[in-house]
Amino acid sequence: MNNFEPKIVAFVCNWCSYAGADKAGEQKLDYPANVKLIRVMCTGRVDPQFVMRAFRVGADGVMILGCHPGDCHYRNGNMKTLRRFRLFEKMLEQFGINRQRFFLDWVAAGEGKKFQEVTTEMTERVRNLGPLEIKGFVEREVG
Amino acid sequence: MSKADLKAGLFLCRCGANIADFVDLERVASVARNRDDVAFVKTHDFLCSVAGKEFLRETLENNIVDNVIIAACSPKMYEKAFQKTVSDAGMNFAKVSMANIREQCGWVTKDKEDATKKAQMLINAAIKRSAHNENLQQQSMDCLTDIIIIGGGIAGMESAIVAANAGRKVTIIEKEISLGGGIIKIEEIAPNMECAPCLLAPRLSAIKEHENITVVTNAEVTDLLGFFGNFTVKVKKKARYVDDSCIGCEACFEACPVSCASDFHLGMGARKAIYTAFPGSVPATAVIDRKQCLHFTDDSCDACVASCPFQSIDFDETDEELEFSGGAVIVATGYDNPDSSLVKHLGYGAIENVYTMPEFERIASSNGPTGGNIQSSNGGKPQSVAVIHCAGSLSKEGIPYCSGICCMTAFKVGEMVRKQSPEAVIYNIHDRLVCSGPQEQAFYQKQVDEGTNMLKVNSLSSIALKKKKEKIEVSADGITSVEVDMVVLSTGLVPAEGTEKLAEMIHADTNSAGFFKADHAILHETGTTVDGINAAGCCIDPCNSATAITRGFAAAGDAIAKLIPGRKLELEMMTAVIDEDICGGCKLCIAVCPYSAITFDPEKKVSVVNEVICRGCGTCAASCPSGAATAKHFTNDQLYAEIEGVLYE
Repeated sequence: MNNFEPKIVAFVCNWCSYAGADKAGEQKLDYPANVKLIRVMCTGRVDPQFVMRAFRVGADGVMILGCHPGDCHYRNGNMKTLRRFRLFEKMLEQFGINRQRFFLDWVAAGEGKKFQEVTTEMTERVRNLGPLEIKGFVEREVG
Repeated sequence: MSKADLKAGLFLCRCGANIADFVDLERVASVARNRDDVAFVKTHDFLCSVAGKEFLRETLENNIVDNVIIAACSPKMYEKAFQKTVSDAGMNFAKVSMANIREQCGWVTKDKEDATKKAQMLINAAIKRSAHNENLQQQSMDCLTDIIIIGGGIAGMESAIVAANAGRKVTIIEKEISLGGGIIKIEEIAPNMECAPCLLAPRLSAIKEHENITVVTNAEVTDLLGFFGNFTVKVKKKARYVDDSCIGCEACFEACPVSCASDFHLGMGARKAIYTAFPGSVPATAVIDRKQCLHFTDDSCDACVASCPFQSIDFDETDEELEFSGGAVIVATGYDNPDSSLVKHLGYGAIENVYTMPEFERIASSNGPTGGNIQSSNGGKPQSVAVIHCAGSLSKEGIPYCSGICCMTAFKVGEMVRKQSPEAVIYNIHDRLVCSGPQEQAFYQKQVDEGTNMLKVNSLSSIALKKKKEKIEVSADGITSVEVDMVVLSTGLVPAEGTEKLAEMIHADTNSAGFFKADHAILHETGTTVDGINAAGCCIDPCNSATAITRGFAAAGDAIAKLIPGRKLELEMMTAVIDEDICGGCKLCIAVCPYSAITFDPEKKVSVVNEVICRGCGTCAASCPSGAATAKHFTNDQLYAEIEGVLYE
């Protein structure tokens, strides 16, 4: 398991977290190359099906990073994401996917350090969980 | 052409050594050259430089491709510039996709081998995504350029003058019988003690004479329809019973036998049943108070009719329903003074010569009930005055917040009293003081230097007032009690009455204190949460006169900069669209849209996006259970391709 390199997809909003990732870059704060970003204008755009698709086509972990509550560029898209994905997390286990493989948090444009931390922690967490194996929706990874 | 046949041109930027040192671009290029979906790979030292962009343009002019992939820095840096260059080369700008191989790859990956692999995946994702790119067109619509202003205080007036001077037709809708708002009841403005009427008079006169400004007073907004670029405001204009041939000569005032309390003087002075707020008001037209006028109460009097030299009295006048159209609306509805119940615990209403700050302002005003003569109820000049800061503020029971402006007004009391009674003793009883900036600090120091006693209490709640013969005793924890002739309670500002109702009507949010919520507290303080509806003055949050005027200027400037006669309103390009053939009419999108940009077409039973209002967040597209809603340039197909692209080649 030690050689396992998890694949992690992070959906980030254009205004805060994508800029936060850029900030990490400007400050040369390295984090695992396992994490690859997909930009959306607002985390409110992240359809739960995007996350499911990512898991189905090979992601071992999926992150959604958006603006802090109150900072959303589109007023409250992040809060809608929060509500949507709290429900989604519960469903995830029904699909046999450990909910620790999914992570939702807020990273501001200035929080390069936080971006480094959450992506590093996520990579370690998923590395410890091992590769995600989905053989149809009936097989379960969790109790 | 099928998606599989589309070819992209790939540009790799070395960014000097900034990318080249961290990513093996030669390997990236040689691998990419073998792809069927890549027409060519070009590498440049600095793609964002003038020479780089020229290279980009020339290459695209000489090599026809379907899409352009630029693997370089963050799109936040140069995406717009590259889009323009690609447009210059004759392609649609939406055909450009960037792979961020600097900030999000080379600079954050320790190992060059890992960085190179990651760069390849990011480029792969961009290429796959680009196969689903669709052209985006700049859309625009005709817009109205007139401005409607709700509220004729200092902020609304400033907005009106700015917009009218820029050639826009402006309508001011004011609920009171004349313009002026809160500031009209004030004599001098702290901290520099500018004369308020002197600031107002030229503005009132500019508005009165301005051919582009229409003033509708004694009126209230009953509905607001439409959206940015095309609003309709419905207004109920209450009957005045005096037509606008009236010049405010006041001949009828003498004839009128009724005397009643004046709202303008906060009940401290009298007026007639036919009245104006003050001489020189705009408009000058008098108004008849239907509740007081004997003609209306028992049909026993029409003395004003005979006294009027212009035959202006019209008892048959009725309320009017009016409609105004404009491209933008500016809300400038101001503030209110808090209810007196908030300062009841400080003896207000029970102890004589205890006044609220707004009442003191009236007493000290040359157009006030005493003609500006600061006097106690017995007519004598107070020789000692205590000003109690934060009266009714900073408490759970009262106003929980600091209004930010009251300390300066509170210091002004001493300044004004001393002007009339140089020997008067002044106490400013406070817990906290707010003096921001050099001018306010200097004003504070001036009061101290001139003899004001600044008394710091341990807690606001310990302040108590007691009548002691002809005097008032003020005591509190942390100070020695003082006995004074007059007490002024420095109250804060609360949202104007009707703010909540108006906010609901125009679909704007309010903040936790009940004022209009700013579109953005820093970037767009003078915008409400509704596009095209700006806000000025104290209706956003309590502010001083200078800020109110600046906000008025900003709110109007923003509106006129966006609505230009002869020019169309450019719309957001990455909006959402709903396919009416697929939409099931569940209205989920309507519930999640933060801008109320989606409406329901009851005939077709489908949701429809108003692309004028849509900002392109894509929340509707994520919520749509049938896939009818699409976020342009962030379509499901594009994002699925990108997801797959970052995971495998």
